[in-house]
Amino acid sequence: MAQSAPEDGEISIAVEFTGGLELLFSNERKHNVTLPANLDDGARPDIAYLLRYLVDNIMQDQRKEMFIMEDNVRPGILVLINDADWELEGEEKYELQQGDNIVFVSTLHGG
Amino acid sequence: MPGKDLMHPCVDCKDAESLFTVRKRQLCRDCFIHFVGSKVNRHMSKYPRPQNLEDPCPQLLLPLSFGVSSSSLLRQLDADIQRQLNKPRPRKSYDLHILVVDPLSAAYDQSYEAVQKAFPMHTYSRVPFHSVFDYVPEMQDLMWEYAGPQFADDPSRPDQDRLAAFRAAITTATSQADVDSVLLTRLVVGFAQKAGCEAVLWGDSDSRLAAKTLAEVAKGRGAALTWRASDGMSPWGLRFEYPLRDWSKVELQQYKQACPELADIVVPDNPPSDNVLTKNLSIDELMMRYVLTQGEKYPGVMANVSRTANKLQASSSDDTPSCGLCGNIIGNVKGNSGLTASSQSGERQDTQFCYGCMRSRPDSIS
Amino acid sequence: MAPSTCFHCHQARAIIIRPKNRHKLCRACFLQIFEAEVHETITGARLFYPGERVAIGASGGKDSTVLAAVLKTLNERYNYGLDLCLLSIDEGIRGYRDDSLETVKRNAVQYDMPLEIVGYGELYGWTMDQVVEQIGKKGNCTYCGVFRRQALDRGAARLAIKHVVTGHNADDVAETVMMNMLRGDVPRLSRGTNIVTDSDASEIKRSKPLKYAYEKEIVLYAHHRQLDYFSTECIYSPEAFRGSARTLIKDLEKIRPSSILDIVKSGEDMAALVPQERSQGGKSRQAAAAAEDESAGGCGSQNGRSSGGEMAAMEKQLAANDAAESRETEIGHPTKSFRPTGKQVKVQTMGYCEKCGYISSNRICKACSLLEGLNRNRPKTAIEVSVGIEDEESSTTLRRQMERTHLTNS
Repeated sequence: MAQSAPEDGEISIAVEFTGGLELLFSNERKHNVTLPANLDDGARPDIAYLLRYLVDNIMQDQRKEMFIMEDNVRPGILVLINDADWELEGEEKYELQQGDNIVFVSTLHGG
Repeated sequence: MPGKDLMHPCVDCKDAESLFTVRKRQLCRDCFIHFVGSKVNRHMSKYPRPQNLEDPCPQLLLPLSFGVSSSSLLRQLDADIQRQLNKPRPRKSYDLHILVVDPLSAAYDQSYEAVQKAFPMHTYSRVPFHSVFDYVPEMQDLMWEYAGPQFADDPSRPDQDRLAAFRAAITTATSQADVDSVLLTRLVVGFAQKAGCEAVLWGDSDSRLAAKTLAEVAKGRGAALTWRASDGMSPWGLRFEYPLRDWSKVELQQYKQACPELADIVVPDNPPSDNVLTKNLSIDELMMRYVLTQGEKYPGVMANVSRTANKLQASSSDDTPSCGLCGNIIGNVKGNSGLTASSQSGERQDTQFCYGCMRSRPDSIS
Repeated sequence: MAPSTCFHCHQARAIIIRPKNRHKLCRACFLQIFEAEVHETITGARLFYPGERVAIGASGGKDSTVLAAVLKTLNERYNYGLDLCLLSIDEGIRGYRDDSLETVKRNAVQYDMPLEIVGYGELYGWTMDQVVEQIGKKGNCTYCGVFRRQALDRGAARLAIKHVVTGHNADDVAETVMMNMLRGDVPRLSRGTNIVTDSDASEIKRSKPLKYAYEKEIVLYAHHRQLDYFSTECIYSPEAFRGSARTLIKDLEKIRPSSILDIVKSGEDMAALVPQERSQGGKSRQAAAAAEDESAGGCGSQNGRSSGGEMAAMEKQLAANDAAESRETEIGHPTKSFRPTGKQVKVQTMGYCEKCGYISSNRICKACSLLEGLNRNRPKTAIEVSVGIEDEESSTTLRRQMERTHLTNS
């Protein structure tokens, strides 16, 4: 799935929080995120990078541990990469592509 | 001797400076050792003292890992027997046979020498882990069926290499820890049977029992708790007993401090590394970590876990087949009409393994 | 990573990897297999009979929404002949329940099912907002849980329905098993895993058709069918989802995804190993007790999840017991007698609440006991067996409300 980065060296992806997780992100379900296509070390941004980016730039809530634990997604939060379980795509090592749709779904919240 | 000028007198004897705080009580060394001992001795008092000096007394096997717990148990049982021999009509109510199993990677030479010197009254034996091939005759069949076709066993190789190859064929940390513990149990049982012992005295602390209980439940072996974590009859016709079930790991560490003779015997634990990611732990490790960390805040709740397991009553029906590997029953306990085993696990009908062992098998994961 | 194809149809792109057996499935096969397995549970446990009227306890959350959607699908696909409706509880929490009730109302339209809403206010004379105003946020979950249990029964009675299904999933059951191990509660251990809890006493049968369904698959089912559900934390229990047993189970799932059902399997086996006490016999007693436990101790929208506070309370109680015990067993004294091998379990007996007539293991049921405290203008969190039985100053609110319920019914 080698997709070349856009000319300007950036990729944009759609990030969605559901299942109650949106409460941690200003109660907004959908966020458009633009990331550098290549990182300083030459690597492509992966989900692990996205997680750090979201915590540092998008998440207003102070309760970071509700989203991140051990530098990864908190157990009980599902991640879908273009609608597929991220376990099928290499989890946090999945390299993001232009136009990807990443959904975080909490199974921890009630209704 | 009342009137002694003590800063913090022991709440029991009031005659010595307290050195240990145990269950919110401040005790001196002697009273602390006595406190621990009283619960262990109470457990052992189920073995009556023989009427006559010549009467044979039961042989009990004590597997010794040189950890804090099993070493403390040996120290306490040794004291219990000494006590019996110091009575006007000296006679033992049981004999101890101590078994040391050397793991694949290490040898306990120094501790083994030290323990025999410190507690010379008992019989000692030492076997390597790979002697499981000698004590479990069906080992080859078990390995083959468990590890599946991709595992290449070479019976012409030394047992040590065969065991290493088998363990290497098991990929997850959980399954590896599970097989290790099951094989160790089988080895100990096999040895105990050959040595004519009627029960195995496991040195598990209460913390260890709690972790084991939760881990076995999580691995689908709740049915085996009646002997895996409670005092009860094992599937091999030997009783399993856990005389330290009243004492937490932390308390036994205090006990070790109180008993200088244990200093040369106990091999320090590898400190549990905190930086292992949760997902890379085995279920056994996760549960131990859970019990130890939660035990700091909720010691009573953690102590409750093994008590809960100890309340279960072994199934009365003898006709249920048991697992060729771990001894747990195959299928459901009589009276359990749950659907998990039948339709939900994909359990094969022709297997000699229980639900828990089926879950741990390498090819059940891919 | 190359995209995987579906294990089942071998054609479409796999989008889920199943916790139970690691099978990779495409969207269509996943939805179909998920439904087929719930069907297997329903037929395996013979949950329904043709023509049965069944109320779905609906909170607007993922579990009950999926339950409603799947039951509707299966009812049509396999001709169960069920008469389904939605039954919701309005705890009276402004800004929380309002939104989820809106979801339930939409669900009623989407699934073409009648909806009945029962409020704490009308039933008990107290909304949760009022309860919290009175007692504060600490301990309010106890009230909510105890009230909910009866409210569902009352609602079902109002509709003259004798079977309520709830959205409890495998993770909930696994958590209950673990909690009961921590509690040391052997009687509850023997009933906590039952798929059906019915009793002659309350006339309302309860069951959990999603008992064997992983929470993860429930959420993904909702996602891939784009079901309309509502999720939030209850505003009065912000700590609810840090529950100790919950966290443990989610950690376990990370290590071995199948382990949730493995815990359920263990729980079912252990239930059969709980010593049967002579006086404990009788299906109705046990079941009644099970029903009583189900939603106690926690937020029903979270399906009775444990909170950190519960652990602390448990610890306090156990520490008290322990202190009592070490005072009892004089340490300096040698053993008196070794207790033989017989294993004893505390007996619980079931009867009826003297105030409202609801089944209860105590003379006064938990709800009446709590109401009594509320009505006496002071908080009361610890419910003890003999408390308040002797004084005859009775709380008539519940009885009155229930009488009214009966009246409107007949």
